[in-house]
Amino acid sequence: MSEIIIKAESIKKNYDASYALDGIDIEVLSGQILGLIGPNGAGKSTFLQSILGLIKTEGNLEVLGMDPRRDRHQLLKEVCSITDVAVLPKWMTVDQVLQYVDGVHPKFDIKKCLSILSKTDIKRSSKIKILSRGLVVQLHLSIVMAIDAKLLVLDEPTLGLDLIYRKEFYSQLIEDYYDGDRTILISTHQVEEIEGVLSDALFMNQGRVVMYDSIESINKKFLELRPNNDSIEKGRSLQPIHQRIELGREVLLFEDTDEKKLSELGEVRPPFIADLFMAIMDKTKRGTES
Amino acid sequence: MTSIFFAMLRREVQEHKVAFIYAPFIVTIVLCFVIASVYFGITDIQTAEFNFSTEIYDEDYQEGMLQASPEAKARVIRAGLTVLALPVLITVGFGILAYNLSTFADERKDRSLIFWRSLPVSDLTTVISKLLFVILAVPLMILPNIILLQFVAVMSASIYFVSNDIVSFGYLWNSYFITDWFRIIFSLWAQALWTLPIFTWLMFAGTYSRKPVLGAVVPLVATVVLEGIIFKTNSIFEFIIERIGFWSRSESFPKKYEEVRVVDVPDIFLLFSTPEFWIGIIISALLVVGIVYTRSTNNDYTVE
Repeated sequence: MSEIIIKAESIKKNYDASYALDGIDIEVLSGQILGLIGPNGAGKSTFLQSILGLIKTEGNLEVLGMDPRRDRHQLLKEVCSITDVAVLPKWMTVDQVLQYVDGVHPKFDIKKCLSILSKTDIKRSSKIKILSRGLVVQLHLSIVMAIDAKLLVLDEPTLGLDLIYRKEFYSQLIEDYYDGDRTILISTHQVEEIEGVLSDALFMNQGRVVMYDSIESINKKFLELRPNNDSIEKGRSLQPIHQRIELGREVLLFEDTDEKKLSELGEVRPPFIADLFMAIMDKTKRGTES
Repeated sequence: MTSIFFAMLRREVQEHKVAFIYAPFIVTIVLCFVIASVYFGITDIQTAEFNFSTEIYDEDYQEGMLQASPEAKARVIRAGLTVLALPVLITVGFGILAYNLSTFADERKDRSLIFWRSLPVSDLTTVISKLLFVILAVPLMILPNIILLQFVAVMSASIYFVSNDIVSFGYLWNSYFITDWFRIIFSLWAQALWTLPIFTWLMFAGTYSRKPVLGAVVPLVATVVLEGIIFKTNSIFEFIIERIGFWSRSESFPKKYEEVRVVDVPDIFLLFSTPEFWIGIIISALLVVGIVYTRSTNNDYTVE
């Protein structure tokens, strides 16, 4: 039985005249790896900040049954976060930061952290300021992975890292950290790098949830057709929700359409999350305009 | 909770070791060297206002000291040793000024605030730990320097006296009270509580302002000027000056001492009995609430 980790009802947050969050209603269950996908200003970071109790919002928000704003201190014993890259204090040495976390976090296992770090190039005596951006993020992840938390919040955790570190980050996260019970929320612009690890996707735009579904369901519901040259018109007649040209070839995206019928017209496969997101955004925009 | 405070105090010591360990230690070592040099005749320091050389131990001085009562002798020697600690205290004073202004500003500047706030430590605990650091830990950290300085001074003077046939080696040591160390530490703790409104104001400026120095100075100057114009009084300025000075020398302290001396512990209780002390504590408590609130709502991690 999955436990409700996050319950958000009509969450709103306004800055000046505009809404950063405009009525978010979602439930996140234990074991989900949820990707928050949206353009800049969609409200992803604001939503994650509200989950961490960093900002006050309207509506009813419960994280692990607690009010994140009121019970923030208690909540952070169960919730870990990497909300930005390179925020570890630069004046500290690796050992000092580990000692500090060990002193203040009841669920931090320093032996586990040292064991994770022993597989990296990070030296315990090194000052954080001399570590590369990639190593700092690796250190931060090692700390987080050694905390026995129920929820991990990652807001652009790999921003500014090169491809190798980004890949290492996510593979370490899934192979060494995720145990099937923990819940992970990830917000990133590099959607293509995380779509293989997600169990669910939440599309956001202008502070609203545009779509929230499991990857399994998305893969069943949406199909991408690369029609044969002689089937393009036939494909178009099946009313795709989105059309685009990719390397000179027409690509049509369908929602709730029979796979068999589509496979007669060409190559069929589930869409990439990034492509689906663009299509959903386009559809939403057209819907709003009409 | 104890382990949390211990971890947080250790973090403060690690971060500010230059201001509160290295700098006072360097000043102490330099002073020790100067004192020893003067007593061993390597150098002497004489200016129009200041005479720090063995020439002060002339016949009149020797005569006066020999005739003085043991209590009077002890008072003079202890006053001299207390004055010796002043450069160390002034050095640490500048360190505390910089610490109070920067401790909450720096975490915004380098964005480490995001990391600190991702751990299960409340803003109130953080603020209290920083105050405990300046009130309790810093005086303890500088005490070994004062002890070393006094030891070198008494030892050098004793060797000088005995080698110049002035008095016996134990002459100075008889007046040197080890209990003064405890009185010094209690006095410094009391001083930190007396100056707490200034500490918390500076910390508040570092929390709310993008330019902490301006954030600390401008509102105070504006308030002092406005008070002068509107009420024709000067109470805020006087309050600030009083709090920057030694508590035992303030206008509101019931006892008046002529000479420089290490205060007695009952004097500290006397300080606690004054309304002015508690006014300072209440102002500090209000500012702590302000710091906690501002830090907890501050999502703008920028500071210039």
